[in-house]
Amino acid sequence: MSDAQTQPETKPVLRRTNSGAGRVLVAVYGIFALAATARASVQMLTKFHQAPLAYLLSALAGLIYIVATITLARGTRASRRLALVAIIIELVGVISIGTLSVVDPEAFPRATVWSVYGIGYGFVPLVLPILGLAWLWHTRGS
Amino acid sequence: MIDVLAYALILFAGVAVIWGLVTAIANKPPGKAQLLYAAGVEVVTVIQSIIAAAKLAGGFRPVELATTIGYLIGIVILIPIAWLWANAERTRFSGIILAVAALAVLAMTLRLLVLWTPA
Repeated sequence: MSDAQTQPETKPVLRRTNSGAGRVLVAVYGIFALAATARASVQMLTKFHQAPLAYLLSALAGLIYIVATITLARGTRASRRLALVAIIIELVGVISIGTLSVVDPEAFPRATVWSVYGIGYGFVPLVLPILGLAWLWHTRGS
Repeated sequence: MIDVLAYALILFAGVAVIWGLVTAIANKPPGKAQLLYAAGVEVVTVIQSIIAAAKLAGGFRPVELATTIGYLIGIVILIPIAWLWANAERTRFSGIILAVAALAVLAMTLRLLVLWTPA
């Protein structure tokens, strides 16, 4: 960690992502990690041949949620970076899969948490990465 | 699944959601009664999953069997994990965490009612 070497150890530069309101964010991410992973597992075990691409994306979404949950819950300097990467992929994913599922519904028959921007989950999948990035920004320190 | 039990659970979980939001607005961590109530909601959730599992074992087959089983298992782990996570740092946000878990239990029970259709 180059940052850790250049910053004095005693000066707390970053606020923890796993405290206060951040704990609610972790809880919501945890629920989506469970929902997306379980959904993808059922899809891949029972009807993978029907829409392999959609179900693989479903599994990817589950993995991203798991990484975001764990890294935000850990709240260390290293885990913040992983969280940032995961949440950016999540945002790109929900916007691109959401758009694709509107443009080409045949390819994404309501199959993933990100279909139609997460309509099946009250659009929380679209709001969540925005809140995640806002929280990382809010806790970035100075 | 028993419809009456499911509707009762939806009501109980709804109260837990509101209770969690109320203590958060009051800027207080969840009290003892609230935590016990959440545990009570969990007990009803477990009973519901056990009854549904017994019916599945007895030969009932819903349209989406794998999804139904996933919901019956997933729904019972939400409140215990949220309970521990909410208590590890007790602030106003602990109530919101309990509310989020109760809302998920509520939503999953509604979904289970739809899933519980004979194949």
